Amino acid sequence: MFTQLKLEGLKLIRSRSFALSFIALTVFVVLMLWGFYTYAERKAGEQATAQFKYTYESKSYFNGLTFALYSVMFSFSLLIPIFVAMIAGSQIAGERQAGTLRMICVRPVSRVSLVLSKFLVTAFYTYLLVAFFIGLNLLVGLFFVGWGDLQLYPGALNLVDEPGKLMRDEALWRFAYASLSGTWSLLVIAAVAMLFSVLFENPSMATITAIALYLVFHIVGRVEFFEHLRPYLFTTDMDFWRDVFKPEIPWQSFGRYGSICGAYIFGILLLAVTIFDRKDITT
Amino acid sequence: MWAKVLLMVICGGMIALAARFDPTRSRSLLLSGPHDGPRMRFITWNIGYAELEDDSRAHTKDLQAVAATILSNDPDAVALQELTDEGQLKILLGYLRGRYKGAVADPGNADRIEAVLVKNRDVKFDQLAAAGKYAIAATFRPQASFPEIVFVSAHADAFSTARRRMYTGEVVDWARSRPNGAIVIVGGDFNFELNPNDESHLYSDNVKNDSEAYSYALKYFRDLGRDAGETAANDRRIDYLFGPPEKVLLRRAEVLRNAATGQMDHWPLLIEIVL
Repeated sequence: MFTQLKLEGLKLIRSRSFALSFIALTVFVVLMLWGFYTYAERKAGEQATAQFKYTYESKSYFNGLTFALYSVMFSFSLLIPIFVAMIAGSQIAGERQAGTLRMICVRPVSRVSLVLSKFLVTAFYTYLLVAFFIGLNLLVGLFFVGWGDLQLYPGALNLVDEPGKLMRDEALWRFAYASLSGTWSLLVIAAVAMLFSVLFENPSMATITAIALYLVFHIVGRVEFFEHLRPYLFTTDMDFWRDVFKPEIPWQSFGRYGSICGAYIFGILLLAVTIFDRKDITT
Repeated sequence: MWAKVLLMVICGGMIALAARFDPTRSRSLLLSGPHDGPRMRFITWNIGYAELEDDSRAHTKDLQAVAATILSNDPDAVALQELTDEGQLKILLGYLRGRYKGAVADPGNADRIEAVLVKNRDVKFDQLAAAGKYAIAATFRPQASFPEIVFVSAHADAFSTARRRMYTGEVVDWARSRPNGAIVIVGGDFNFELNPNDESHLYSDNVKNDSEAYSYALKYFRDLGRDAGETAANDRRIDYLFGPPEKVLLRRAEVLRNAATGQMDHWPLLIEIVL
């Protein structure tokens, strides 16, 4: 199993999509920094007080932790899932397309351990990506914006229902928690993409189907017509990861939705393993 | 085989764990311990119609039902929004059998007005100008030994977040400048859209303006109706009763969901406090 993991890890690191995802996220952080910096300059300047007498968008509000929070929140729902689906979707279907799957399967390695080792490597990649992204945002925030406490207000980001604050050290811990809760949440997409990777011959097809399913659920969950469907969409449960940024973490709801995500991950993985175990490999 | 069984067990364990957790956080009413002081009830209610109707202001034919709701809940003061004119208030006061006194705000640049009704006979009404509109306030003392109560009926712009941010700021400033010792309750339809999860955008000036306006109100007041749930159609909580953060104990906050009549798109929000 360890050899299998080592081989899969090496394959992942050498793939183009691995480097591409880190480069894309770095570009996103640079773009966010530019947007945040110009916005903060405009809103914290004299121009802001010309129209409204009061604002919480002061110089102390716009700090590195706020920057990191916005950047992480904006990218988590639409950007990072694409990379996770891309890597997970290419795991089995990629081998099939390259013509190596049949060869791997004739070796004395069980199909179940092959799928599980590929999923474990994908999970490790997901954590690496999330931790890198959060770390990069915090570093950029520290060096280019400066640090302070994390102030939270109702409405914006929809995290709190009354104004709240996280002290700097506590906020840093919350970012560390977010790297774990965020990874757990993204593993649902990884499992879905892995299932499609088993089902389809082509990695592009597996990735696109997984992303399409995610986006459809994501959009449907936000359209009022489908309000009654919302509790049954995995995208609704995936939102639990954000709870770590609330001044008081709602552990009951965090535990519930985290567990539901776990059920999705292991349930879908079981389905993928079962299908792959019985599948005829003809390529 | 063992790997499949393990996956099945973990999946089942996760489902069991999810069932064990209760996601609905029962938030107890803050500062609601036993207290024997005098109790007061306040209602805020936008009695206008949904936007799709020809005239989205209050309809005179509904006023009897509005009066019945008020009489059955027996509030000490009521804030009403979207009346057409003072004539509607007079009709409503008639249905209330002379048990309430009331006044309307100047329409300003709007085509609808706010009203405030108070059960107490000895009441003083004040207009307060805010962002080109007017709100109406009633000042009264329920009993000689009680503190003075200031109750405001307000209605912020439904279409422009910038205008409602300015309006809210000015109403809050007026309310917090009342004499020390007075208990100020601000009721009304503020139209804050604070749930951007339902929006297609991630961050916009509209969301931020409402966030700023609501946060500014919470800087000096407490959102007494927060736990009562949505107050208007489409799951919107846009009607508020703001009160002092510490001086009163909140005993009850409830949205009267059977009270709307005709094509009204708001329900009355009722709170009961202990002085």
